[in-house]
Amino acid sequence: MMMTLIRREILDNLMTFRFAAAVFIMLLLVVANTAVLIQDYERRLAGHNTAVKMHQRQLHEKKTYSAGMEKLLVDRPPNPLSILNAGFDKRLGNEVLASHGYVPSLWDANMHGSDNPFMDMFASMNIVFILEVVLSLLALIFAYDAFAGEYENGTLRLVLTHPIGRGYILFAKYIGAMLCLIVPLLISLLLAVILLMMSTSISLSTDDFLRIGGIIFASIAYLSVFYLIGLLISAATRRTSTALMLSMFVWGFLVLVYPNVILAMITRPDAWQAHTASTFNKIEQIWEEFDRERKHLLATDDFPGEDWGFELRGWGSRYAYLWGNPRSLLYTYESVMEFHGFGEKDEHKMPHAQNHFRFLGSEVISTADRTWLIRKPALENIYIQPANVKRTWLKLSPVGLYDATTQALAGTDLRGIRDFFDTARQYRQQVVDYLYDKEAFGSRQWFSSDKEAADWSGLSQFSFQRVNAITNAKRALPDVSLLLTINIALFILIFLIFVKSEV
Amino acid sequence: MIWHIAKRELYDNLHSLRFALTTILLLGLMLTNAVVHIKEHPIRTQKYNASVTESLNVLRDRANNLYELAREGPGLLHKKPSALHFCAEGGEPFLSDVVGGAFLWSTSSGLKGFWRLDYPSATPNLTNIRPNITKVDWVFIICYALSLIALLFTFDSISGEREHGTLRLMLANPIPRHTVLIGKFLGALISINIPFTLAVLMNLLVISMSTAVQLDGTAWGRLGIILFIAVLYISLFLALGLLVSARVSQSAVSLVTLLLIWVTFVIFVPSTLASITGGFSSPMSRDEFRKRRDELYSERWKRYDDYLFEVFEPSKIIQFKGKHVTEEAAEQERLSEEHLMQQVRQVKFARATTQISPAAISQHLFESLAGTGFERYLQFLENTKSYAQQFRAFIIDADRGDPESLHIIGIREGMSQKPVSSEAIPKFEDTLSLSKDFNTAAIELLLLGMFFIVLLSGAYLAFVRVEV
Repeated sequence: MMMTLIRREILDNLMTFRFAAAVFIMLLLVVANTAVLIQDYERRLAGHNTAVKMHQRQLHEKKTYSAGMEKLLVDRPPNPLSILNAGFDKRLGNEVLASHGYVPSLWDANMHGSDNPFMDMFASMNIVFILEVVLSLLALIFAYDAFAGEYENGTLRLVLTHPIGRGYILFAKYIGAMLCLIVPLLISLLLAVILLMMSTSISLSTDDFLRIGGIIFASIAYLSVFYLIGLLISAATRRTSTALMLSMFVWGFLVLVYPNVILAMITRPDAWQAHTASTFNKIEQIWEEFDRERKHLLATDDFPGEDWGFELRGWGSRYAYLWGNPRSLLYTYESVMEFHGFGEKDEHKMPHAQNHFRFLGSEVISTADRTWLIRKPALENIYIQPANVKRTWLKLSPVGLYDATTQALAGTDLRGIRDFFDTARQYRQQVVDYLYDKEAFGSRQWFSSDKEAADWSGLSQFSFQRVNAITNAKRALPDVSLLLTINIALFILIFLIFVKSEV
Repeated sequence: MIWHIAKRELYDNLHSLRFALTTILLLGLMLTNAVVHIKEHPIRTQKYNASVTESLNVLRDRANNLYELAREGPGLLHKKPSALHFCAEGGEPFLSDVVGGAFLWSTSSGLKGFWRLDYPSATPNLTNIRPNITKVDWVFIICYALSLIALLFTFDSISGEREHGTLRLMLANPIPRHTVLIGKFLGALISINIPFTLAVLMNLLVISMSTAVQLDGTAWGRLGIILFIAVLYISLFLALGLLVSARVSQSAVSLVTLLLIWVTFVIFVPSTLASITGGFSSPMSRDEFRKRRDELYSERWKRYDDYLFEVFEPSKIIQFKGKHVTEEAAEQERLSEEHLMQQVRQVKFARATTQISPAAISQHLFESLAGTGFERYLQFLENTKSYAQQFRAFIIDADRGDPESLHIIGIREGMSQKPVSSEAIPKFEDTLSLSKDFNTAAIELLLLGMFFIVLLSGAYLAFVRVEV
């Protein structure tokens, strides 16, 4: 009996105009957008590769260690799954300096790649967004007349005369419609994946396929939420026209209105400006203390009275200054010397200068590490937490929940991007170790290439690997389970309404 | 008779669920919009005023020495925020609201680079980790939400009556079909305009009551035009609804068709088509731009070195140095402008192709009338450009007024070192002009009107031929 009901449901749905239209529109949108997005990804990847090569070349062109510190840029490769859900992949910075002068973070990053940043004004589509909008609409269109229609036609009464539990009827309806709805979803995603695999620049790993599988699962759960919402409305109103109207408005509210209105309503607490200023002050003071020590050393050493450049006369350039950015709480001491020859008279100053830079090098590193301990929690407090609050509010709508889940699975959420900066920080540690190993700070190559140029060959190249699919799944787990819970809650609610309703 | 049908339609709608839901939804959206605007607009104006004052101070400081003023330039030039920001947000966070001077080089021999405009590129906020959602502005409320509602008001207006059999009844009367159609259209238009007008009134009431936002005469004029466009846009979707409703025999099919059309044209076409057509042309890449900039720079310096190698006459050298500095600045400014213009062309082309979507057209219209968005940004750049000319003309004039000066613009020795009165220096003020905006808007308005006429006559043809 159950199978008969399901079969009837499927046949009813498959033969309708709405099903054909659903398949057509989904295919059209998904395929067109995937093609555009793959092109966009290829462009970004090419930009990334050029940038990596350029940074590598620029570093090797630098003949002194201190000048190389300016060029130790590491790059974040674009994520191929950003085609499914772009998340933050295109929005946040993708290159950052991993020098000894400060600990790199998201707030110090720059962007390379786009030739025309104005084009970013056009909202970027991605596959998940299409599913978000179209799937939910389709689910509601499939559901609005499921009970109301049968009630109006009188067929519901007919079905209920059979000795079969109402729970079974509900379940059969749900399974039948879901099986129909999944078809356009799977076909369009399958085509998208085939297009992805056809592109030569994208190579999907096993982990990527697992992630895509996760996204498909989340999409089905999302689809089911909207189908159940439609079913609930249908069971509760019992009139098709009312059910339809209500469904459409609920859709408009959940998909269009709620996410925008809630973000407009929540504003950041006012205290953040004071907090930023006080933290920056603290960091500034630490660096000023460093500066006093530096000056003290200069004043009390063997040649008191000279400036930071030791009045060296030679060929090349030099500069040094303390600088900071109050908004991103960054403060650092930058000193670059790039000489390739000295006058005779300066030779006796060399050991002295080397001593000075040895002291300065380790001091800059330890000061940078110390200020990071203050900076990190402050950034967390000022920027990450308010953003997380907004994100949590968004999750009250299934759309937000679905978006968060797929971002976490694709690795384009904030955590995925922050992984890159964690790796960049580890790389900075490697750089520091390398510099210590080479005794770079105390060497002549730190400031001059007249005897010997700086040696970068031993420095390992930066590479960033995304976290594995298991970690992605773990990150998505809370949101997925919430989606599933909503499903179950809605199902139970519909069951209760349906069981108690009179026919 | 038209009014009779319209009235019937109106009464039908007034009691319906969709009317109540629309009223609630629109009121909620419009009030949110107003509240956000009166909270954010003062911050924007304050920021603008503060930075303008700062620029003026900078100008006053530099007025002590004409050469320094000419070399360092007038400081930052700021874009004035529009009081109608709530109508269209227009991707403002993307577009820079300040134009400054370029980095000034200097050599050990005392030669220093001259001020020139440096056109900013788009400035995506790289540290924006908040979720990315469109703003609740009028563009969103009208182009997205209200167009959907307009379809919901008309999808069953003919097919529904046919299903119930009332259409047959109505057509049995001696009424021409076009009267029925127009009556239905007017009825739907009036009934959707009731909640819309109410919501707009509430919105404007809240905004104009607040002391923080002042709307002047032109702003109200612009609002009037925007509202007219909004009504035209709604009518367009009502006509679309009538067209599909007349062609299709079942309301459900009519709704599904309309929703799919809506999703395609309102949500996807504006962005997807722009991304596709954007790929057709590629502007000067960033690396190419840098390369050309460096080439220009080194060529200029090579010419400079060559000249100094050959010529030893001090008066000629001074002349040449002045020319070197000013021409270098002009050349770099031209390159920067060319780079910008290539990018602008690409965006303009992409925007032009999105005009097959009425939603994109009315979004552009809203933006240009509200004084926000891309067109406004170009206007701002245009303003800074003409200001730069004005500023340079002033420098030459002021230099002429000093008898001790050699009148060689570009180097310290050749120019007046005297202070100038800070009042005499032209000040940059960003302006919005309604006539200019309206000219750019006229064609799009025409296009929107044409869409409406085509759809309405389509609905008429479909309805005339329909069998009951």
